[in-house]
Amino acid sequence: MFIIREALIGLRRNGVMTFIAINIIFFSLFLFGLFLVGTFNIFGIIKVAREKVELNAFLKEDLSDKLVDELSSKIKTMVGVESVEYVSKEKALEEFKKEMPNATSLIEALKTNPLPPSFKIKLKDAFTTPGKVEEVALKVGIFSEIETVEYGESWIKRLDRVVKILFVFDVLLGIVISFASVFVVANTIRLTVLARKQTIEVMKLVGANERTIQAPFVLAGLIEGGIAGAISAGLLYLIYLLITRFFVPFYFPTSPIFVGMLVFGLILGFIGSKTSVKSTSMEISLETSNL
Amino acid sequence: MVEIRNVSKSFKKGWYALKDINLSINKGDFLFLTGPTGSGKSTLIRLIYMDIFPDKGEVAVAGFLSSTIKRHEIPLLRQRIGIIFQDFKLLQDKTVYENVAFALEVTGSSGRKMKEKVMKALALVGLSHKRNEFPYRISGGEQQKAAIARALVREPFILLADEPTGNIDPEASGDIIKILQEINTSGTAVLMATHDIYLTRKLGGNMVRLEEGRMVEW
Repeated sequence: MFIIREALIGLRRNGVMTFIAINIIFFSLFLFGLFLVGTFNIFGIIKVAREKVELNAFLKEDLSDKLVDELSSKIKTMVGVESVEYVSKEKALEEFKKEMPNATSLIEALKTNPLPPSFKIKLKDAFTTPGKVEEVALKVGIFSEIETVEYGESWIKRLDRVVKILFVFDVLLGIVISFASVFVVANTIRLTVLARKQTIEVMKLVGANERTIQAPFVLAGLIEGGIAGAISAGLLYLIYLLITRFFVPFYFPTSPIFVGMLVFGLILGFIGSKTSVKSTSMEISLETSNL
Repeated sequence: MVEIRNVSKSFKKGWYALKDINLSINKGDFLFLTGPTGSGKSTLIRLIYMDIFPDKGEVAVAGFLSSTIKRHEIPLLRQRIGIIFQDFKLLQDKTVYENVAFALEVTGSSGRKMKEKVMKALALVGLSHKRNEFPYRISGGEQQKAAIARALVREPFILLADEPTGNIDPEASGDIIKILQEINTSGTAVLMATHDIYLTRKLGGNMVRLEEGRMVEW
């Protein structure tokens, strides 16, 4: 009871300091949140792009339905293959007309359908890198019923390069923002603790044990971190609503952001206050701390 | 109650803040600790409440020995000692009442009994009427009285007073000395450090004089 009351009194009576601390923690967490939302969206886009990676295995003409089915089943069981879709000559023509309406007259002039039947082979996420795609393409191409296997080789290589650069950039940015947040928050809380250094000194003089000395400060740090985390999550959500409504829709992982911001705020508040009050308590009497 | 045996304390090599000090304080003693600034008075007081430890010798306080005390035992020792300072060390964001109650609350006291103890301590120093004031709204003398009430509320066996009149006017100083004497009469030992040798001569009583860390008169 004393600990809770003391924490609340400390926060209230040092109102300006509390206000500044919550704002600084909020801003640090908000930046971190923006980074997280950005990361989620960038990797969301990459995932969608990777889902478009597919192999087109063109079949020889006049294969029996039975043979097509058998071949389809065999390919489906191959490592890395997600799904296999048969595209008949007629369907291929239909798709061609839909995708390239200007070239329809050219095809019609030929009188016969020149497009071969094929398999559209979708790959599992882990098999969308250039090396793996090529590996699967070579294995599929071994079947004598298959004429050729095509995939957008240069496009896949470009996508892979972009993913690698983005990943490195994202990780570096994440590390910088995380460290900056921890550093700024820890120092802000340290200032709030130092502002109440005399309280710690008096507590020691009147015979409070270390746990009693630290507990109100740690609780106050948790409250500051929690409030800042909740505000930053709320503001991020508001920004998400505004952008989605007036500009472009984007992915916002609501629960992970809210839980993440709150937990991150609490962790920062806890670590910041715990280390600050401990070191301040030690500073007050260096000799006693050596016991 | 307090035994200081052959104690030396140095903060830098070759220079002693205290050298070969022997002193004992018993129940009901009133002892002045005098000497010029830097003579080691505060160091001696800090050794008693075990804020610092001797380089040589031993300090024994209420059964706790400086050579064997564990870190977690220091709060237990401090709970049995009252300490006041020249700068009062009152918490500015707490009222007089809260400052006094704080000394009990940090060790888990609460409720009516605690309130009674706080009010009794405030009455003893004549500060009941100012209990709801914040320290910055009362005079230096009153602040020191509040600090004494905080030190007394645990009913310590000894009160350590480090220059308690150093920051207050002569009239208020007289009040403080009077309160300390009353506390002593009720059985609490008092060790009062002061550089004001005239004050000690005027009041009489036992006196220990320190000069450059050595005891020169007892």
